[in-house]
Amino acid sequence: MLPSTSNYMFEMIRSELTDAVGKEYVDVREADRFAHSVDYYWIPEMWHDRNMPNPQADLIVHPGTAEEVSKVMKIANTYKIPVVPWGGGSGSQGGALPVLGGILLDTKRLNRVWKIDTTALTVTAGTGIIMRHLEWEVNKAGYSTMHLPASIACATVGGFLAHRGTGVLSTKWGKIEDMVMSLEVVLPTGEIINTLPIPRHASGPDLTMMFLGSEGTLGVITKVTLKIHPQPEARKFRAYLFKTFDDAMDAGASLMRSRLRPCAIRLYDEEETRHHVKRVFGLDDISGSYLVFGFDGYEKIVDLEMEEAMKIMRKYDVRDLGSKGGDMWWENKYKFFYPPYMFHMPQAFGTLDTVATFSDIKNVYHAMKKVVNENFPEARFIGHFSHWYEWGCMLYARFIFEKAPADPREAAALYNRVWDLAIRAAIANGGVINEHHGVGLKLGRLMKELYGPAKELVLDKLKKELDPNNIMNPGKMGFGF
Amino acid sequence: MHIQKFEDAMKACRFCFMCRHLSAVGNVTFSESDTPRGRALLLDKVSMNPEFLRSEAVVSTMYQSDLSACCRFHCVSHYDENGLVLAARRDIVEAGAAPENVGKLAAELGKSAAFKVSGKKADTIYFIDRYTARQPEISGAFDKIAKAAKVPYMTITGGCLGKALKTLGFENEAKKAASAFAKALAASGAKVVVVSNPAAYDALKNDCPALGIKLKCKVMHTSEFIAGKLAGLKLRKPAGKASAVYYLESDFLRNYNEVAAPREALTRCGFKLLPFGTNNEESYSAGEGACVLPELNPGLVKLLAEKVASRCDDAKKDTLVTASPYTKHVLTKYAGLKVKTIEEMVSSLL
Repeated sequence: MLPSTSNYMFEMIRSELTDAVGKEYVDVREADRFAHSVDYYWIPEMWHDRNMPNPQADLIVHPGTAEEVSKVMKIANTYKIPVVPWGGGSGSQGGALPVLGGILLDTKRLNRVWKIDTTALTVTAGTGIIMRHLEWEVNKAGYSTMHLPASIACATVGGFLAHRGTGVLSTKWGKIEDMVMSLEVVLPTGEIINTLPIPRHASGPDLTMMFLGSEGTLGVITKVTLKIHPQPEARKFRAYLFKTFDDAMDAGASLMRSRLRPCAIRLYDEEETRHHVKRVFGLDDISGSYLVFGFDGYEKIVDLEMEEAMKIMRKYDVRDLGSKGGDMWWENKYKFFYPPYMFHMPQAFGTLDTVATFSDIKNVYHAMKKVVNENFPEARFIGHFSHWYEWGCMLYARFIFEKAPADPREAAALYNRVWDLAIRAAIANGGVINEHHGVGLKLGRLMKELYGPAKELVLDKLKKELDPNNIMNPGKMGFGF
Repeated sequence: MHIQKFEDAMKACRFCFMCRHLSAVGNVTFSESDTPRGRALLLDKVSMNPEFLRSEAVVSTMYQSDLSACCRFHCVSHYDENGLVLAARRDIVEAGAAPENVGKLAAELGKSAAFKVSGKKADTIYFIDRYTARQPEISGAFDKIAKAAKVPYMTITGGCLGKALKTLGFENEAKKAASAFAKALAASGAKVVVVSNPAAYDALKNDCPALGIKLKCKVMHTSEFIAGKLAGLKLRKPAGKASAVYYLESDFLRNYNEVAAPREALTRCGFKLLPFGTNNEESYSAGEGACVLPELNPGLVKLLAEKVASRCDDAKKDTLVTASPYTKHVLTKYAGLKVKTIEEMVSSLL
């Protein structure tokens, strides 16, 4: 652990870090330590809102290269100081919070675009680059990563890799793990390694996949090569209103089972359609369950796919909102996440995202809804389904209390209780604890319930082997202190 | 406290990350506190613990904001984080907690607010502010255009008309300076005041009414003036490589006032506007919104200018065009870029 700032040993360690990354990149300013003490997780937000001090890092370092990251890791190991990687800080699971103090390793200086390979169609970049900046660079070259999440403006590429993020076009173009070619990783003990340069092989287990989703507990991902794609000639959307959510889910699943390749499908349950979709779109005559989908690529193919998809929709009792109703969603796709449209204090809210097969997903949805409604009658439960696979889809369920208890400890207890019950209901019905936000601090305690013996036999052993001093992002992913 | 007037922005921005990519200062310091979220979070703490206002953490962070208002321009709800920071600076000043260099600069700016009108009586008057005065080629270019358009004009010179003082949080001093300017303007009898500096434009358009100062004449930015006179000017068509230029948006014209005249004037003259950097939304602010950042923090301005330079396709060859004498000054001085103003570009065609 780091000695207190009044101890000269603190200055000794600070000097070593300064030697590693440069004076201007070792920060002990109160302002920055304070700003790094709150991410997008509701608990530290609420703690701040109640005027309670959040745990802060002692030092913030901004390394500019993998070699500098390596030096920081070696220093941290020498003194057994916790190191918490921080990208954009926009994670909702508390994965980047410096709960034990120590060194906060801000990756944003690792923001170089190393290469855009127009032959293989890949881009290689530092993981500290803001995703929006990377997408703009790739756009300028005439391509797109097709990774367009709502957090594109605020999250770093590394954040998506660490938490297995996803974007609005994932249904066709994949989650971030489908987009990765290879990684450069600095291990907790400071060694720099590279995973294989290509993602498909029979040359042993897939190291790339092992680090994706490890949330800074197994190392710091410093560089990535991602696939890029030509900008599509056309991207078209169409929306429908279904009388019931169940019908809409059946229609969405039918669309996926047809093996047409929509770039996006988004289905909102009746509650979210009634409140949120209506408010964001400014529509008055909207009720039922809103379903929107789109196709992209060559226009002729897009039109053909759209025609076939519309045939599937016509089998149901639907109101066709046309392309206008679909375009409205595309144009406003990020608006949901800006204030005041996003939930905010004094509300208590959380995104219980999970994923299951089409055989299970309705059960997961209804079980989570039931457990929230029955145990927390003062809460609202809403959900939409935004990332679809050949075999199932993701549920973006949310609970909202209009007002949380004023006492921060009571509020935290209530909040955690909702998560415990709802996620257990998801697991019991074939779901998992998360689909694209990660585990972090929020859900670590449920990892054992999800993985069973594999948690201890595989994940814990892996962690112990790679991080013998347990300095990498302690307290996250259920690895404990 | 004045920050309470911006409680909506404080509460909305404190936990919102959606504009962080546009934070010019945050993009060069990499500090979370230098983003709209970071600043709003700090000020939210101040609202709960007023003594925190005086802390070095709050004071230094507030005075290194670029005040570009890119965040407000981008935000779907247009929350005014910029206004929140300005209110915080005002609170800091009124609490007697302004840093020494800020106080000293404000005193100098206050003293400089003595305005002199020159030239024969005319309906139009041209304000030569500090940054325009430092770069006489800008007023020279304006003179050439005005003469070609047969528009006689007077000039008004002097120091700060209140914008920089207001930006620093010295509201009363800003009002005094603006009043002195308004008085000199009224005495000139001019019906139209033309300014090259977008900061002056914003001061006259927005700050004066907010300070209770009524101007009796119309306010125009030079780009608006030029766009209005183009039909009567005999201009050569820009030729070859010189016709392709990169236009850098002005914080004050785009983000504060949504003035489209600079682009309009250039395109109507036949210039082809190339997209600078990757797109028009990205923030290439070099601190224009903060007016006097070079005096307070030249190291930071150098970083901002270097960031802009790093986005050039060819920093040695590209011609950048700006509507802001401030931006021309700092990009030339701190990054060695080739920068022209709208006035210079148009006058080169006469």
